[in-house]
Parts: sequence; C-alpha cells; structure tokens
Amino acid sequence: MSKPLLIGAVAYTPNVVPIWEGFRDYFADGPVETDFVLFSNYGRQVDALLDGVVDIAWNTNLAWVRTVLQTDGKCRALAMRDNDLAFQTVFAARAGSGFADLSDLRGRRVALGSRDSAQAAILPVQYLREAGLGDDEVELVRLDSDLGKHGDTGRSELDAIRVLLDEDADAVALGANTWKALAADELMSDALEAFWTSPEYCHCNFTALETLDPDVYEPWVEHLLAMSWDDPELRPLMELEGLERKWVRPDLDGYASLFKAVEDQRIPARW
Amino acid sequence: MVSGGILLDLVERVGGAVVGSIVEVPVAGADPAVIERWCERSGHRLLSVEGGTARILRGPVPDDEAILSSVPADRRPGARLWIYTNFDCNLACDYCCAKSSPQTERRAIGPELIERLVEEGVSSGVSEVFLTGGEPFLLPDLDQIVSACVKRAPTTLLTNGMLFRGRRLELLRSMPREGLALQISLDSATPDLHDRHRGRGTWQRALDGIRTAVAEGFRVRVAATVAADESGAAESAAFHRLLDEVRIDRDDQVIRPIAQRGFAEDGVALTVESLIPEVTVTADGVFWHPVAADHEDQLVTRDLFPLGDAIEEVQRRFADYRRETDAAAQRFTCA
Repeated sequence: MSKPLLIGAVAYTPNVVPIWEGFRDYFADGPVETDFVLFSNYGRQVDALLDGVVDIAWNTNLAWVRTVLQTDGKCRALAMRDNDLAFQTVFAARAGSGFADLSDLRGRRVALGSRDSAQAAILPVQYLREAGLGDDEVELVRLDSDLGKHGDTGRSELDAIRVLLDEDADAVALGANTWKALAADELMSDALEAFWTSPEYCHCNFTALETLDPDVYEPWVEHLLAMSWDDPELRPLMELEGLERKWVRPDLDGYASLFKAVEDQRIPARW
Repeated sequence: MVSGGILLDLVERVGGAVVGSIVEVPVAGADPAVIERWCERSGHRLLSVEGGTARILRGPVPDDEAILSSVPADRRPGARLWIYTNFDCNLACDYCCAKSSPQTERRAIGPELIERLVEEGVSSGVSEVFLTGGEPFLLPDLDQIVSACVKRAPTTLLTNGMLFRGRRLELLRSMPREGLALQISLDSATPDLHDRHRGRGTWQRALDGIRTAVAEGFRVRVAATVAADESGAAESAAFHRLLDEVRIDRDDQVIRPIAQRGFAEDGVALTVESLIPEVTVTADGVFWHPVAADHEDQLVTRDLFPLGDAIEEVQRRFADYRRETDAAAQRFTCA
C-alpha cells in the first residue's frame, strides 16, 4: 500500500495526540503503515469515513450505530478494547436516598449527561422505559455540556453529579467509567451511592467500510491485537487509551440495546 | 455542596490535563488523605497540598521499568559497571576527576572483591565492565583482575599507556585479546595540548603505548579529554588523521569534554540529575557515575555487597529524576 492507512479519532482531550502518535509509531514497525486525523466531533468523523477521507474510524457505540444506519450495514467493526465488551451504566443517588430500583424514580428528577451520550443519556432513558416509567413519569434534567463528543469527556456526567449533590435532582445516570474515575464507591460513599447497574453492552470500536481490503485490515488488526500490556513502552499508551489489558475482536451482539434505543427514541441518524 | 465535590473537581481538572503535566487544584478544606487515595487509584501522583492547593502530576505516571527501557540498552543504568581498581597514578593530570597522582593513596579493591563484584553485577544485568583508576598498570595483580572480568563480561581497561615496559609489558602480553579493549588517553594530535595538562613528554610516551598495544594485537580505543576552547574542528581533524595512521578504528576514536570534577576548575558541570548513571565501584563505596567516584554527592552506598541492591537503588533514583525532569520540562516549555 503506497499511502498509510488513515485512522480518524475525535479530539476530546489533549491526550489523544500522544495516544495516536504512539499508535503511529507502533504501526511504523508493523505490516501496515498508519497515520491519524483528529476531528472535533463524531458526526464529522463518520462523515469522513463515509466519504473515504479516513479508512478506519475510532468510533463510540453511537457513532458505530450511526455508521451502520447510514451504510445499510455495509461496514464492519474491526476491534475494540477489552472493556468495551462490558460497558455499563450506573444510576446513583445521594447516600441514604433509599432507592432500590429504577421504578423508585417515579415522580423524581433524574440528571442525565449529554443527549448524544449512549451511557449517560440514550440508554438510561431506555432503561427507565423498560422499568415501566413513562416519559411523563420522570423529569429528566439534561446536562448537554459536551455535545458532539458522545459523552467522551465525562464533563456532562460530572455536571449531572453536581446537580445531584446540589439537590436539584434525585438521581443521576452515568457511565461506569466515570463512576470508576471518581473512585466513588470508596471515596464518595458519604455522598453518593449506586443503586442500579445496567446489563453489559459494547462501547467503542474501530469501524471500517465494507470496501476496505481484508488484505489491508486483517494484518492491521493482527498487529493491533499483538500490542502487549507487558511491554513497558506500550503500556502507558494502552493505559492512556483506557484499556483494561488488551485489544479484542468485536462482539456485535453488545450493540443490540443501543440500536433499539436509537430506534425507539428516534435518535437522528446524523448525530 | 457535600464533601464529594472535591472529587468532581479532581476528575475534571486532572483528567482533562495533558499527561505528564502538573495540575494545581484548589482543595481548601478537603482531606489530603482522600486526594492522595484518589490519585493512587487513578494513576496520578500527588506532589503536595499547600495553601489550599493540591499539586498533582497527571498520570499515567510511567513506572521504573518503562523509564529504564526508554534508554538504549547499552546505556541503561546498570548495564555498565565501572570499577576503580586503584586511585594512585604515575601522572598528576590537572583535570583528573579522580584526583589521582603519585601521592594519592592506592585504595585498591583487589582481585577477589573485583571478581565477586563482576559476578554479582552480571547476575543483576551488567553487560559491560570498565576497569579504571588511577593507573591500573601500577597494580602487580592486574592480570588476575582482567582475567576474572573478561571471563564474565566484555571488559575495557582504561590506561594512560605509558608503562608498557619490562614487567608491565609482560603483564600486558599475558592479557586476553578476546573480550578486552584497552582505552588509552591521548588528548591532542601534537604534544602541546596533551603535555600541558599531563606533563612534559607524556604525549610521546602515550602514543608509543598505543602503538605497542596495537602491535600486540589488542583492540585499542583512544579517548581525548579536551577543554571547550581546545576542541576546534582543525584539531579534531588532525587528531583523527593521527589515529587513522596508527590504525585505530574510527569508532574507537573518542573526543569528550573535561568534567568539572576532581582537580578540574572548569568543565562540564555534572550532577546526579543530569548524568545517566553508570554504576561505579571504588574501595570506598558505590557511586552514581565514574566522573564523580570521589564525591560524596554522588555516593549511592558504602556497602559494596550485595551489588544488586546498589544497582536497583541507582535505577530507582534515576527513574525518580526522570519523572521529575519530565514534569519540569512541561512547566518550562517556551512555545
């Protein structure tokens, strides 16, 4: 291949630069030379994938759903982080609230993250509906602090927790990654408690169009999967990208709940 | 707001900062133990909590192994083991970093301890041994020392090359050619500069020594120690021409600056923070680097054994310095 494989990623933190420069360096020694382009939001990135500007997009779960819907399924997920296989949403309340289940939120105010965040808005609304709560039975407080980035910054979830702690909401929905980042189970137990955790679902993946040559992407995926947590030079890169330990092949069944939520909530295909 | 608010600030401010940067977060009234624990769980490092502000090094903070592996394998702290066989010398060079001279006390380690040092060193990752002094050829048992080292690792023997006569020439001839390199000091292409620092007539005797060692079949590396105002391009070119003539490989022609240590009043300032350590053992202890083997500020331990512990200590300190300087570099970027 004369031109390097081009990866698209969204610049949700300044640290994406060292992450993708690390990737570029790692692939420089591999079978497929790789470079990257950064986008300001996932909508623009998916457009670039569809237009052939980038070969592979590092997509959120919503960006994956969006790509599938816009290509009639003519795309493929190549790989994901190990913890993308088992992402979860946490519902939390102030300590001592006494909530035991989502149905306890009837007539309450629930703070959500950005409306384009699968983990902190789209799936939580679906979970509330599945718990038998109609849209008029729960008041949603939306904190759209990082629109376009599908909740990647975590900023909207932190804002939602502030609303909860200020007693302007009774509960909050957030990604398990943000809950973990707060070390809330250990360090905020006097202030917050998780009372419901969702089933596992899939989050990010590397997405390519069906037209990408297998002779190109297969060696690329193999080289990606070969990244070793035990390599002292690669480990900081993998930690920064948020892996638990390794890259894995995707599990598409883990997106079923989000496809249903997007359809039920009539989420625009171009978010 | 209840106490959890500080954690939201930490996640937002530190999580959004550039890796390796130092982030200041207002934390008035917060429990420092909570901040410390959060940093620990999140892979960041709490540097201080003072005046209501926490200073935090944004992680992931590279561990010692990652930092060590960023240094080329042959320069990695612990790969090279320097041994000062003795401190006395037949010369009294005015820039000697070990303050060696004919009047300097010998302070020899002796072949038995050197053999044990190299053995322990190799089992702790040492891949190359350097024997230096003083002038090692003043030692009558140097052949035993060299033989013990060469058996275990590639060895370089540093000498001024001026004593290859009589009994000491026989000592030289008895040494192995495989696995041993001689490093002989010659500071210039003509006698003036060399003799100015080392004494009248020493240049010619050193050059004779180089020719002798080459003729005896040894690999010879020639090292020039030069002051900044003496190291012009013309001087370097003449130096290389001379060494080419005496059949010294270009890779074995080394020009290095004077270190501001020992007898030297001027030269390159070297500190533990600025030097990549090369574990150095003398009869008095284990030191950070061979240019400061007589200096308390670079003493690692007085205990020669177990050498592995000293090597680990040097590696740990080096990793700490690297983390600190990386963070400092983030603070002082100019553009």
